[in-house]
Amino acid sequence: MRSARPAAGPPGGRSSRRLEPALLRELFLGQCLVLALHLAWMPAWLAALALAVAGFRGWQWRRGLPRVGVVTRIAAVGGLVLALRWEYGTLGSMDGLIGLLLGVYLLKLLETEDRRDARVVVMIGLIATVVAFLHDQGVPMAIGALLALAWLLQSLVRLAGGRDPRQAWREAAWLLALSAPLMALLFVAFPRLGPLWSMPQLDRAATGLSDTIAPGDIAELSRSADRAFRARFEGPEPAPGERYWRVYTLSHFDGVRWSRASPEQLAATLERPVEAFAGVGTRTPWQAPGGTRFRAELLLEPDSRPWRPSLGAPLASGQPQRYLGDGTLEGLAALSSRALLRLESSGAAPAHPDPAGSRWHRLLPVEANPRTRALVERLWRDSGGDPDAYLRAMMARFGEAPYRYTLSPPRLGGSDRVDDFLFDTRAGYCSHYASAAAVMARMAGIPARVVAGFLGGERHPDGHYTVRDYDAHAWVEVWREGGWQRLDPTAVIAPERIDRGTQAVEAGGEAFLADARFSALRLRDVGWANRLRLGWERLEYRWQRGVIGYQRESRRSLLAQLTEGWRALWARLETWLPGRGVLATTLGLAALLLLAAGAALLVRLGVVRWRRRRDERRLVGALQAWLARRGWAAMPGESPAAHLRRIALEAGPAGRALNDCAHDLERLAYAPLEAPERAARRRRLSRRAAEVRRRLPRPRRGG
Amino acid sequence: MAEGTARDVRRERLRRWWRGRLATPVDAPLPQRRLFLIPTRFGLGWATLVVVLLLFGINYQNNLAYALAFWLFAIAVVALLRGWFNLLGVTPALHLPRDVFAGGEARLRVVVRARRPRTALELRVDGAEAWLEVADGVGEAELSLPTPTRGPFALPWLRLETRWPLGLVRVVAWVSHDAELLVWPRPLEEEAPSGRRRDADEAAGDFAGLRRFQPGDSPGQVAWKQWSRSGVLATKQFSAPPRRECWLDYDACHGTPERRLSLLCARVLTLHRAGERFGLRLPGLTLAQGEGDGQRRRALDALARFAPPTGEGAG
Repeated sequence: MRSARPAAGPPGGRSSRRLEPALLRELFLGQCLVLALHLAWMPAWLAALALAVAGFRGWQWRRGLPRVGVVTRIAAVGGLVLALRWEYGTLGSMDGLIGLLLGVYLLKLLETEDRRDARVVVMIGLIATVVAFLHDQGVPMAIGALLALAWLLQSLVRLAGGRDPRQAWREAAWLLALSAPLMALLFVAFPRLGPLWSMPQLDRAATGLSDTIAPGDIAELSRSADRAFRARFEGPEPAPGERYWRVYTLSHFDGVRWSRASPEQLAATLERPVEAFAGVGTRTPWQAPGGTRFRAELLLEPDSRPWRPSLGAPLASGQPQRYLGDGTLEGLAALSSRALLRLESSGAAPAHPDPAGSRWHRLLPVEANPRTRALVERLWRDSGGDPDAYLRAMMARFGEAPYRYTLSPPRLGGSDRVDDFLFDTRAGYCSHYASAAAVMARMAGIPARVVAGFLGGERHPDGHYTVRDYDAHAWVEVWREGGWQRLDPTAVIAPERIDRGTQAVEAGGEAFLADARFSALRLRDVGWANRLRLGWERLEYRWQRGVIGYQRESRRSLLAQLTEGWRALWARLETWLPGRGVLATTLGLAALLLLAAGAALLVRLGVVRWRRRRDERRLVGALQAWLARRGWAAMPGESPAAHLRRIALEAGPAGRALNDCAHDLERLAYAPLEAPERAARRRRLSRRAAEVRRRLPRPRRGG
Repeated sequence: MAEGTARDVRRERLRRWWRGRLATPVDAPLPQRRLFLIPTRFGLGWATLVVVLLLFGINYQNNLAYALAFWLFAIAVVALLRGWFNLLGVTPALHLPRDVFAGGEARLRVVVRARRPRTALELRVDGAEAWLEVADGVGEAELSLPTPTRGPFALPWLRLETRWPLGLVRVVAWVSHDAELLVWPRPLEEEAPSGRRRDADEAAGDFAGLRRFQPGDSPGQVAWKQWSRSGVLATKQFSAPPRRECWLDYDACHGTPERRLSLLCARVLTLHRAGERFGLRLPGLTLAQGEGDGQRRRALDALARFAPPTGEGAG
């Protein structure tokens, strides 16, 4: 019989106060995993701090030094606070608070002596993991957090008495796997509430479009491949020449830069209430909601400013937004994480007059750009005072003169920049041309404004569009009778920019994506790499839209779908089962359940029977019958074991196997065996019986 | 006084009832209704953490924080179930030690059987604790309990508990038993042997023959040579009693009752080692002569149970 070995105590058992180095190493590696989640956003010296603490603990362990004194610990925390102040200037910001959390998490390892401390370390690690989700909620972050969670779990299993790592990992895997369905159920079913109270927010850098355009700004954007937003259309999708995403209108020109006049600034300048320039709601107060052309679901990136893009004039949205009088849209708050927005838009420039009035849209600095003014007067005379003809002539002039479209134009200085551009350098990109066109329109007395936004977007095979910073674009809107009209001088100079995006412009090859040196977008021309990139982006989009964007509305629709499915199933059951009404259906279901239970019982009986077939008596009985067929029948009154032993004397090579069979049979029948040994002996018995059948000499004659 | 006894009886009855409600008898598998789940401090901390993460998810509208909070909650539920299954159906058995002397320690062996493997079970009796694992259906642990005084030793219940897998919750089961441990007096060798003993090499009585060995025969009288030849254990018989009868007498010793008992204990042990026959006379109890293990055990049990007559102070 196998002797049981007494178990040793747990690792660093509860009686022994000190953790063993293996467990400390576990905790340290867990810390490294959690820190890896923060790596892109934390100050680099925190990694050095982690290594310093771990090295100190290892040295302390090897030397058998006593635990760290209070003075050292207070000094360490004080040093951490000072370093964070020096890094962030204040501890009150969210970055500072996160740094403090991470630092304390690392320093806690200094005073981790027993299991309780170790568990506290794991707890802080879980909090640090969740804080990392403030920075990013993408797929890589989720995978990293899952790894960290698995590691922390197995550390806890080790702390609770698991002795070898394999066992701890197996247990952690079981825990994760068994709890995943419950987690998914809670995630789907838990009601999504609004924020209960306001929390400190991370400061997001304002990226992408700005609300002022001086020549040179949009060229900066073409250097970056950051994602601005993603969109999916329900119904018709815009053609490449229609993908003008309006973000801001710039109506104020100071001679150098065009800038945006926000509703508040307009209200202050024109001495009218703010409500005259902006309205909050789910529908635009400015325009009749007849002309909806595009229904888009936008997945917006977090940004410090509440801008929202729309294809043409925004008409209606899923959640309340701020509709501005110039036909653009603002969110009610800046986004601290990605968000979904459903938007209906007209696809064309707004059809309503701007509440700021047409005078506001004709203002220009006086006495600037004299050469342009002369050109405008000449063109106006040539077109016979017809604004439309004038605008056509202006656009045609951009097309015929030696104007170049380039992302790295010569620099402009001085006060008459439009003159310099139109008559000297004659090279620029969208903002130069838009600025010049708007100035020329205003000089002719036509209300005009520059629109900053995006043009284009990459269409994915699965139908969603990605718009990036380098798709930023500027164009002009002019007021003609009954509505604004879009004019895009760039379309005249570089039509390929409209159809195929910035990268199509050869001259911009130098500057295009200059800041995204390692972006996968540089491999657009390599087939497999591009497929890989598109696949990854699709996965990312689905993740962001389905999991991260799972908020109130999507939850409602999902639950509605589920109840719908349930109803359909129930209806099908009612038609399928005989009888009418709820009672009959319930009875039918009960009958089904009974049938299922009966089937389960039968299966179970089968299993029992199969087990019984492995029973030793059956085994030996079968062997005896087989022997009887070969002429070695049992004598009347002979026990099976005696029978086998009698045959063993004359069975030659099978004798030993027969004796073993008899012995095992007797042990199984009469000895008080433990279950494992019983099973082992059964296995041996069946092997031996098979051996008897193999080795028994040829059958005797007669019988 | 009568009131007091009545109250004692009632209290005893209450205790017995409570014991029946709370504990499982030894040698029976632990049933569902006798496993108690007690959250640990860490478990309460975990609950707080889940609530904090949920609030974090709500206030930041952060779905991954929601997911982590729900996952930690689900993990706690699964860990609770797995911990409960870790102890369910375990069958503890208690093996008392054979020889326990006062001033030494009793080494209890606890053997735990279970069909499934079990991990990190913690066993506690009266302050002593041991860890055990059940692999291949059986696991065992040894507990050392100090036994300072002579006499019947009331062994408290065993407590089996487990914090596996995460330490969020303790699953506890009490195991009751009616085993009584008898602690023998501490043996005390005396300086001058008072019992006259014969030389060991003096010839025994005349050899009369062999008889079949019976358990309990003194090993000194087993015919080892014959056993080595034929493999049959036999005991030599002598026509005359082989030794002078030896009586150990309580009244013949000096000192406090405990010292006397210790002296007697030591002499019982030496006589047994020499394979002699001896008898024991205590006030109010006389143990007839005999030899072998049975006699030694009877004599030592009598010494352990002996209550010194009152009135006899420290002599």
